[in-house]
Amino acid sequence: MCISKLCKIYEIAETKVEVLKQVDLKVASGEFVAICGASGSGKTTLLNLISGIDKPTSGEIAIFAEDLVGKDEDFLADLRCQKIGYVFQSYNLVSTLTVAENVAFPMEWIKKPVEEIEVRVAKLLQTLGVEHRRNHFPVQLSGGEQQRVAFARALANDPPLLLADEPTGNLDADNTQRITDVLLELKAEGKTIIVTTHERQLLNFADQRLCMEDGRLANYNE
Amino acid sequence: MSETFFPVSDLLRRKSQTSLTVISLTCSVASTLFLLSFSYRMGLGFASGAEETLTIGLSAVFSQLILFVGVLIFVVGAVLTSFIVFLTMKQRTRDFGLIKAVGCPNNLVFGYFMTELLILALVGGMVGLLLGFGADFTVSHLTALPVYQKPFNMWLALLVFVVFFLFALVFGTKPILDAARLTPMEALSSVQYYSLATESRFKPFSASWMMGKIAVRSLSRRSTATLRIILLLSVVFMLLTVSISGSLIAKDTTLSWVERTAGRNVVAIGTNEMVNQYGRLQEEFVGIAGNNGTFDYFSEKYIVSDETIRQLRALQNVVKVDARLILKGHVYEISNFTIDPETLATIPVGDKREADSILIGVESSNLTSSWFLQGRFLENDGSLEAVVGDSVARKIFSKPLVQSLRIDNQSFAVVGVCVDPVNNGNVIYVPMKKLQQITAISGPNIVFIEINSTSDRAAVLDQIRGQIEGVKQDLTLIEADLILENSYAFLNSAWSIITFLPLFTLASASICLIGYVMLNVDEQRQEFMILRAVGAKPKTIVTIVGIQNSLVMASSLAFGLSFGIIATLLILVSKPVVSGFTILQIALWLTLAASVMFVLSLAPAMKFARTSLLKIMA
Repeated sequence: MCISKLCKIYEIAETKVEVLKQVDLKVASGEFVAICGASGSGKTTLLNLISGIDKPTSGEIAIFAEDLVGKDEDFLADLRCQKIGYVFQSYNLVSTLTVAENVAFPMEWIKKPVEEIEVRVAKLLQTLGVEHRRNHFPVQLSGGEQQRVAFARALANDPPLLLADEPTGNLDADNTQRITDVLLELKAEGKTIIVTTHERQLLNFADQRLCMEDGRLANYNE
Repeated sequence: MSETFFPVSDLLRRKSQTSLTVISLTCSVASTLFLLSFSYRMGLGFASGAEETLTIGLSAVFSQLILFVGVLIFVVGAVLTSFIVFLTMKQRTRDFGLIKAVGCPNNLVFGYFMTELLILALVGGMVGLLLGFGADFTVSHLTALPVYQKPFNMWLALLVFVVFFLFALVFGTKPILDAARLTPMEALSSVQYYSLATESRFKPFSASWMMGKIAVRSLSRRSTATLRIILLLSVVFMLLTVSISGSLIAKDTTLSWVERTAGRNVVAIGTNEMVNQYGRLQEEFVGIAGNNGTFDYFSEKYIVSDETIRQLRALQNVVKVDARLILKGHVYEISNFTIDPETLATIPVGDKREADSILIGVESSNLTSSWFLQGRFLENDGSLEAVVGDSVARKIFSKPLVQSLRIDNQSFAVVGVCVDPVNNGNVIYVPMKKLQQITAISGPNIVFIEINSTSDRAAVLDQIRGQIEGVKQDLTLIEADLILENSYAFLNSAWSIITFLPLFTLASASICLIGYVMLNVDEQRQEFMILRAVGAKPKTIVTIVGIQNSLVMASSLAFGLSFGIIATLLILVSKPVVSGFTILQIALWLTLAASVMFVLSLAPAMKFARTSLLKIMA
């Protein structure tokens, strides 16, 4: 993945807010990147641009040898569904679907066989410790459980790139460890991972440790 | 912060929701006011136009249909208004809890939301009134539509505004009161908001099945709102069905009345002068011409001889020869008494009214016409019985079937009231022999001949012409179908105006549905955003909304169609004529209307699908 001279400017009323300023980032396949930074520094915006949810004001984003700039919504939707797993900071679970259905639907989307979906859902829910909640709706779960279901959904289609926005932000120590273990396992499997976090443990495991400051990416210095 | 300032600034802050609610309320009030005003003008147009040109039975069908449609329009608007405010205020439950949670007293929060409701209802109602007035002005003054020109009915506008405003207050206050009863925790709880606490077994299916699940669960999660829109659309579809099937069935039925009265494949024979005089009489009683002066009906020269009638009856392919004695006469009402079945007291019926009318003596066994009747037709040529046209019946009788009438010095018991579009209901049928006795006219003056429909019409007409040329009299043959066609032309033009109602109803129905879908999509915004963020294509959102709309429309269509057809057949049109072609026409129009509504209802979802993901997330 290669990002060069990425800029994002939001216009709020008549004020222009430059959230990302000439950001350059290269991530090799299988690399684990951790980005930290203060709230509002532009971390989520960067992940939104990488996933194609948002469009840059200028600059280039190349993922899997595809330049995302100028691609239509259908292409970006396919990309998010099959190649990018995104764990949102606010979980973003579909409230009308149960936990199992929330994890299953990205697979149903790409018409995976029913048996395969069942096995995969069971495995992911077990790995993340929410198997007992499989038939509950999101509103019946705690914040930490919703976070783990969101993680399971992001991994449903076994994407080569995982984006996680503060994946352990709402978790206790046990669950933080569980997520960290999963991320390490994914890293071992050769997945590319970009995580925004304040978690020191995650930063320690990262191949690239970066810090977002005032819209610019810099190397993380303790 | 003042109690008034906060709700105003809050409404301004929530621009899209506020404008959505105001637009929906405005459309509801405007479309109701416009449709009511349009029906009112059209009804007035018929009342004034029909007074002289339409028989009472026919104009009753028109006014009943317009009145019924008007009532339904009002109901639709009122239900839509209640639905919009209910949904809007229900969406504020979380905000209610939030404001309470930060320490605002309950009565103050209640005051905030009531002020918001009042502002929304007032603005929506006022703008709706202006738009409705504008649409009415445009249609009545700037288009060529044949509606009755009359000043805008301010009382109607006031009625619509007051009723809708009250509806908005009552139905909008309900969710605010419900929210006020909740603790901040309950109001903020997602479970309260989504009202979803059931479990379901997981079983993966296809993507389309999953879309169906989301669509259905979203509808059931908002069951109150869903039931309300189904109720609303049911009334809308009932209105549409009544407008479409009512006008088509009523058109066919009234045309059949004309056809039955005039007869099919019928020609008339009489002397030139008598035939022309009959035409003038019809024009006089239809209101096209004034009193056509004196005419000597007693002259022997107008009588068609028995010999001629016998010869005509002997012709091949002549089915019936209906000889009639037609003249203009003066009739008097004879009052009567009835007995109250409970008190056994005698009740006087009728008065001593009188009127001019077309008098027709007929032989009941040889009639070429049949009538839409209350009571019965003449059965015995020797009896002193009469059948009166509905216009005469209304003019000079109170309860015609228990009354009698007098022609010269002879009284006749009224045994039937008929709808007679050919003579505009201004007619009295009596046995010919009796009319001959009263008037001392020796025979019939016009003869109607029914020709075998399968025969070569031109050849039969030549045969008849040959026959009448052989007699000494100056007899002429006219195609009675001309009378039929004139009546047809009038009725067709009248019904073509009525057809505008379904068109406007369809517009109103579409506004209802689009308003609902806009609110529906807005409520599912978060859900759709998530789906798109995790890889759903924009068309998926349209599909989910499409499934929801189909379910809502199918349920509403089933109710609306059933009740609409029942209302049309049982209430609006007596003894309806429903042919296979009419059913096909109704089915086609309703399918077209439902399809148009369905396609239009997808517009908000398509607009939403085109919106950038980030904009939705924001």
